[in-house]
Amino acid sequence: MLLTLIAALPFVGSIAAAFLPAGARNAAAWLAGVVAVACLALVALLYPGVQAGGVETFRFEWLPQFGLDLYFRMDGFAWLFALLVSLMGALVVLYARYYMSPEDPVPRFFAFLLAFMGAMLGVVLSGNLIQIVVFWELTSFTSFMLIAYWYHLPDARRAARMSVTVTVAGGLCLLMGVLMIGEIVGSYDLDDVLVAGDVLRAHPWYGALLILIALGVLTKSAQFPFHFWLPQAMTAPTPVSAYLHSATMVKAGVFLLARLWPALAGTNLWFWIIASAGAASLLVGAFSATFQRDTKGVLAYSTISHLGLITMLLGMNSELALVAAVFHMMNHATFKASLFMAAGIVQHETGTRDMKRLGGLARSMPITAAVATVAAAAMAGVPLLNGFLSKEMFFAEAIVVGRSLGMSITLPTIALLAGVFSVAYSLRFVHQVFFTEPSHDLPKPGHEPTRGMIVPGALLVVACLLVGVLPAVTVGPVLETAMMSILGPELPEYRLAIWHGFTLPLVMSFIALAGGITFYVLLLARGAVMSPTPILSRLNAARMFDVANVVVVRGAAKLSHLFFTRRLQSQLLAIVGIALVAGVAAFGSTGWSAGENPLTPIDPLFTLLWVVGAACAVGAAQQAKFHRLAALIMLGGAGLVTCLTFAWFSAPDLALTQIAVEVVTVVLLLLGLRWLPRRIAFDDPRRKTPRARGRRARDFLLAVAAGCGTAALAFAVLTRPQVSDLPGYFLRNSLEVAGGRNVVNVILVDFRSFDTLGEITVVAIVALIVYALLRRFRPAPESIDVPKAQRADPAPLTTAVDAPLPRGYMRLPAVLVRLIGPMAGLVSVYFLLRGHQAPGGGFVGGLVMASAVIVQYMVGGTMWVESRLRIHPQVWIALGMIGAGTAGIAAWFAGKPFLSALAADLHLPLIGDVHLSTVLLFDLGVYMLVIGAVVLMLVALAHQSLRSPRRVPVEPSRESAEETDEAEAVV
Amino acid sequence: MNHVDLPLWVTIPGTLLLVFGGLLVLIGSAGLVKLEHFYARMHPPTMGTTLGTGCVLITSMLVSSALEQRPVIHEILITVFVVMSAPVSAMLLMRAAVYREHRKRPEPTQPLDDIGGTIPPRD
Repeated sequence: MLLTLIAALPFVGSIAAAFLPAGARNAAAWLAGVVAVACLALVALLYPGVQAGGVETFRFEWLPQFGLDLYFRMDGFAWLFALLVSLMGALVVLYARYYMSPEDPVPRFFAFLLAFMGAMLGVVLSGNLIQIVVFWELTSFTSFMLIAYWYHLPDARRAARMSVTVTVAGGLCLLMGVLMIGEIVGSYDLDDVLVAGDVLRAHPWYGALLILIALGVLTKSAQFPFHFWLPQAMTAPTPVSAYLHSATMVKAGVFLLARLWPALAGTNLWFWIIASAGAASLLVGAFSATFQRDTKGVLAYSTISHLGLITMLLGMNSELALVAAVFHMMNHATFKASLFMAAGIVQHETGTRDMKRLGGLARSMPITAAVATVAAAAMAGVPLLNGFLSKEMFFAEAIVVGRSLGMSITLPTIALLAGVFSVAYSLRFVHQVFFTEPSHDLPKPGHEPTRGMIVPGALLVVACLLVGVLPAVTVGPVLETAMMSILGPELPEYRLAIWHGFTLPLVMSFIALAGGITFYVLLLARGAVMSPTPILSRLNAARMFDVANVVVVRGAAKLSHLFFTRRLQSQLLAIVGIALVAGVAAFGSTGWSAGENPLTPIDPLFTLLWVVGAACAVGAAQQAKFHRLAALIMLGGAGLVTCLTFAWFSAPDLALTQIAVEVVTVVLLLLGLRWLPRRIAFDDPRRKTPRARGRRARDFLLAVAAGCGTAALAFAVLTRPQVSDLPGYFLRNSLEVAGGRNVVNVILVDFRSFDTLGEITVVAIVALIVYALLRRFRPAPESIDVPKAQRADPAPLTTAVDAPLPRGYMRLPAVLVRLIGPMAGLVSVYFLLRGHQAPGGGFVGGLVMASAVIVQYMVGGTMWVESRLRIHPQVWIALGMIGAGTAGIAAWFAGKPFLSALAADLHLPLIGDVHLSTVLLFDLGVYMLVIGAVVLMLVALAHQSLRSPRRVPVEPSRESAEETDEAEAVV
Repeated sequence: MNHVDLPLWVTIPGTLLLVFGGLLVLIGSAGLVKLEHFYARMHPPTMGTTLGTGCVLITSMLVSSALEQRPVIHEILITVFVVMSAPVSAMLLMRAAVYREHRKRPEPTQPLDDIGGTIPPRD
């Protein structure tokens, strides 16, 4: 239980911090600090449980049928990391409180910092591989938000994008690798995976899954060749760099490598992939760090190098190397975080990070200088500091591990070379910033910072010193616990001590120290201290990433240009054509045949009705391009015939709904006509070209074929006997089971309510899309002007906002329509309420209400209506979705599946018996959503004419209108 | 359809009213086709929308009341709605026609007034 608390507390704190006002610096810092310290205390509390190979677990069954549990698991290694994360978190919060400027919205910063802390603790404590990946990606996301904290800086945005692209892409690879592991082992539980090492290593997929996991891990830990994002990420605030990009998040990669070490390590492939990536990063990072001008750049590259060292150790397939790696993870976190804090202090107090400008700060900032010097010495591997110990272990392993002659020369050489560089850059960092001639070129004169900023770094440096002098007493037991949890109770022989006797690793350490100092002195002598990195500065990985990014985006654009068109006509052609081909192909094997059912006798009246309807439909299609109004009228005619057909076959519900749909459709289309591009005249020469004729012929044939195909399909289905007794089932059960006499409505809101829920969601989405598209819509140039008819209108239809009634000929219609408004509302509610028993329902009711609103817009004008009646269609849509969803969820509380109907019969005084059901709530949701969706589209269309530039003649008289016409003709 | 026996006092007036209403609608539609110009054609359909609809609605009231064994008068509401909505469309159509006519004239001398009529020229 405590485990979950550790992982959950930071997230709770994060949400709380996010709701603090932007200026609440102290509150946010206190909150974050308390959360971090609480986590630290909880972690410390759990130590007895993990000692001597113990494991604390907490399992919450989430979806047991899929084997998905929330599983937290803390062993010694996880404990060590949890301690690191929460301890660093607490120190960084203290540091950030004083580092962040009062102008910055600090609550946002702490909110993401806490979220990161929670995610990182989640990675560390998860006992399930999938769960690890989820938290892993969360750390990438929070890192993105923190790097882009100062999002007004283009560099910060670019760096954030780069880091998130690299790490999330790596995370996806990791997910694939993890899925493969799960497939092989048959479980995602860490306990099962860790004991299945032999199975995994022998499996044919081993190579692929190792590469995928390596991709995830190496991107996260900024290892060569994916290291380029880390130096870019230095645009983040320094507390973030200290916490995420040196102490914890970048350690997630090596953490996972060590975690999976028992399961995956031990093969040659492992050695070649992991150790060579580590070695490359070690050298590239160390070499580049020697030549950076930016203080944080030095630290970033040295982080890459040290992580490379850890990765290389992990790749060596030796248990002792693993011990060294874990030890170095801790050491690196302590000295690097304090160095970052020192660099941040220098930047904070002097205003620059440029080492060319900085200098001689030891005099004005003696404490900072002392802290930074000790930390840098630890980084360089000076004896009596923690860095020395782990580095010596590294040298020892580099000598021992090589199996062939080539390896036993190469590995020590790499190690020694990296050691030389690391001494050089540590020395250079300290010397250039603190011990050269005092600089007079600083934006601000440097002075010692407030205590709150120096204390965290100083504490870390004390830790470096303690571990360096008394390793066996201070970290010995903790390290042993951690190693036991990875390697089991039998640990290899190792001794944490400063003095192992006069050995080869010791000699190497001193050679590195001497070599590093010599190298730096040589650089100084040649005046090349601030020159760009030799060789490597040409190979700018960040730039390559940008280029690759651009290439990919352009390629995608080209590809979509090839396969996609923005022309609606072509898209429709493709859709109809493919549907036709698919439909015909389905009949390919069996062929089409009519069913055996006897045909009903032909009713002449009904036939006549359909002839009229078909004529309307064909006419509408024919006129659509030339006389849109006529086409729309005929479309309405065809719709009316459909309504009558429904009524004819005794489907009053459908007829009612259809007629409401027709009304709304025609009106909305009518409003849209105004904004279409100018139509082509019937005798336009462009219509006469062979190409145009060919296109029309093709479209005509396709339309006829598709229409005939649909008709044939319908005929074949209708003439066959029913396969199942679905209608009978609905008729029998509608009243008894669902308690409604109107079967259509019962099907919609009860039997098939999940379908309805999906449909109304689609309706809502469509309405929102229409709104979104029209919001930025600019009509074609030729249709921007006020239409000719309106321009010449002596009495424009617009009604003054403050007038009670429109002027002139609209007055009488306005009175009548406004009178109808409330009545229509009443009718719509009536339809809604009685829907379950008699024709009606939420859908029809909503449409009726929406049409009532539409006519108000028509007679009063947009301005007039909206100055009196603020309809918020989005709110209606949202309430509709919430209502329908609540009705569905309510069933859960009764222990029934989603969307089951719950009913209650109440006896109320005065009103009498009332049958209450969640179905009504569901229908109410449909009702509100339909109103919202229709009105939203209406509003979007109506506002077009308000927004677009228009020239209304000032004097609404015939003459001025003619003048405008003439003026246009001249233009 | 189930076969239902209706009392004679419903059947006879109901039938007569239905036939009469149907005739009105038919005549109105014929007029819509036959008559010369738009203004004249505005009038015949109103026969159907007013009296014709009224006849059908009264029949509906009679038959429903007989079937339900209680007075059913919902149809009055329909009447109200029809009475309120039909004139609106008629008026708007008229207005559009007047307006188009006015625009077609080669030499418009008289501007339209607020309600679409023409203002006599001043002396």
